[in-house]
Amino acid sequence: MKVGVLSFAHVHAAGYVSVLRGMPGVEVRTSDPETDLAGAGEVRGREFAEQLGAAYVDTYEELFAWGPDAVVVASENARHRPLVELAAKHGVDVLCEKPLATTLADGEAMVAACREAGVRLGVAYPVRFSPAYAALRAAVRGGGVGPVLTVAGANNGWLPDGQRAWFTDPGLAGGGALMDHTVHIADLLDELFEDARAVEVYGQTNNLMYADRAAVETAGLVTVRYDNGAVATIDCSWSQPVHHPTWGGLELQLVGERATVEMDAFGQQVSGFDERRRAGVLLPWGVNLDEALLRSFLYGDDGRGSEPGDGEPVRVADGASGLRSLRIALAGYESARSGHPVALD
Amino acid sequence: MSGLHVGLIGAGGIARAHLPAWIELGARVTLFSTDGQAEKLAARHSARGVEAVRTLDELLERSRAVDVCTPTHTHRELVHTAVRAGKHVVCEKPLALSVEDTEEMVKAAERAGVLLFPAHVVRYFPEYAAMERAVRGGAVGPPAVLRFSRTGTYPVWSPWFADPELSGGILLDQMIHDFDFARWLAGEVVRVYAQSRGHQQAPVEAGAVAASTAVLTHASGALSHVHGVWGLPDSEFRTTFRIAGRDGVLHHDSAQTKAFRVVASGERAAGEGIPATNLTESPFVGELREFAAALDGGPTPRVTARDGLAAVRIAVAAAESARTGETVRIEDATGSNGSRETQEVQAR
Repeated sequence: MKVGVLSFAHVHAAGYVSVLRGMPGVEVRTSDPETDLAGAGEVRGREFAEQLGAAYVDTYEELFAWGPDAVVVASENARHRPLVELAAKHGVDVLCEKPLATTLADGEAMVAACREAGVRLGVAYPVRFSPAYAALRAAVRGGGVGPVLTVAGANNGWLPDGQRAWFTDPGLAGGGALMDHTVHIADLLDELFEDARAVEVYGQTNNLMYADRAAVETAGLVTVRYDNGAVATIDCSWSQPVHHPTWGGLELQLVGERATVEMDAFGQQVSGFDERRRAGVLLPWGVNLDEALLRSFLYGDDGRGSEPGDGEPVRVADGASGLRSLRIALAGYESARSGHPVALD
Repeated sequence: MSGLHVGLIGAGGIARAHLPAWIELGARVTLFSTDGQAEKLAARHSARGVEAVRTLDELLERSRAVDVCTPTHTHRELVHTAVRAGKHVVCEKPLALSVEDTEEMVKAAERAGVLLFPAHVVRYFPEYAAMERAVRGGAVGPPAVLRFSRTGTYPVWSPWFADPELSGGILLDQMIHDFDFARWLAGEVVRVYAQSRGHQQAPVEAGAVAASTAVLTHASGALSHVHGVWGLPDSEFRTTFRIAGRDGVLHHDSAQTKAFRVVASGERAAGEGIPATNLTESPFVGELREFAAALDGGPTPRVTARDGLAAVRIAVAAAESARTGETVRIEDATGSNGSRETQEVQAR
């Protein structure tokens, strides 16, 4: 199987390349010609590919001429659309970094282009493949939790400007922490709640932490009301201290009528202390979620092997669900501007 | 402090937490309740000089300070009675069910020159107090985003809790602890949005669940998320917080800080609605000691009547938001310039 990686703008590109290179029977080629918006000192293009030990071509056209079976789009959020449309034009299945786009118009155009071309569009939401989420999902879908009342979610992380400056550029990223992190939990709940839909969003943001470093909001709380009666509040802040030994995490507590359950997607780590460095140590040992995501997209199997009775396996988010989580984030911004909850059609 | 004569009104759950604290502080305690429980409670502590009386007047005659540990809907009248009698007053939170009632109580105490002390005991819990001191000292920088959660069993032991008319519901009865704390840490609150779910009405039976989520916007721009749950009968009492700013983060989860744990007992233990001991000095002792010390010329307690009023204002705004689905703006969170009318208009 031939898989292309388009752009190294996103920090996840390196992880995808490394997972793909380790997958038996997968051939990888990469291309990153549009580095005009890269921050000072950022390693991109052929040099970055060499660091990763990945095959590289100078143009996207060359990459498509190679005849890939699928491509992964890892450009800046606002530049997803042209690359997804290019994949659609070449009839190639495409897995797009999250969020799907920075505007509804772009997102809708991407979904339409892929539908018309008959290619699969996936959105890279790896936490769907967390074993912790699978357990939470089984508890909810199995009825043990009962009707869901409230959800408290937190997806906190470092200020992400360290490796790639565009993450805090409102034009390229589509916003700050709210755009970056609300969508992960919105996507989990979209998957979890099946046919239930978000109907209203309340968002509040601030930039009290990094006014000197970022022109976007770095903290936010977003409350989402669903038509199944559940209400979720998501802390999407980049509030993990920049020098903390781990990047952040994603936690979810779900209060149901019959049980309260919670998950910690990145909590599986050995912790300790390193006397020589005089610093705390955290050694993650959980499942590589990027690998599960890519396996599912390429082979329809996340590699974990589902048990009979698990019901429908988790699938990669499709374009329609990518649009739904984008709508929630966009409504969060609208609400933060107006100070009022915003209804979703 | 020794010899302070305290009249404790009520003999329910919180009275049973305050009484040993008063005894530990060396107070002489007189009990009064209308449910017939005061006599039994006094009898258990008779060796420490605790006595029950038959009328409120008798209690007032004997007391220099009054501790109101009754259901919320009775606070207003009892506080006014005690203030009129010239007594200093400890009043369980929330001070009252409406901003107007609370404001009248606060003003009455100010006019009478007595101390009205709202018992926001979370300010005295050692983990919260340690965090507050650190945050004041700059441990996280200016707080930017704060999270608080509080879960206990649904308080089914007394029927008034489940009745929003009598208790104000989970937002006023339980989450007000965290509203008060969030305001203490991050300053005045200017906008509130809340949603409530589950069983939030009387009558209630064990097994019901109520949960609410609230987002507070502080005048500084800081944001607080408060999540409260009155949970299933096996809910262990649990509190969490996470306070983040540019310079650091402080977090706590009471499920992770138990210095003593029962690992197995052969059956699933029932949960609690009021926290069990933390293996530290009871926060109720710390709270009441500060009140008593203030009566003897000591420093002003860390929580004032105006703080109690501000907490009610936030909780009432949250309840209003949960009812209407709209955000509620708070114009003047301290009530210091009498802008009640403005607030009312905004609240609608």
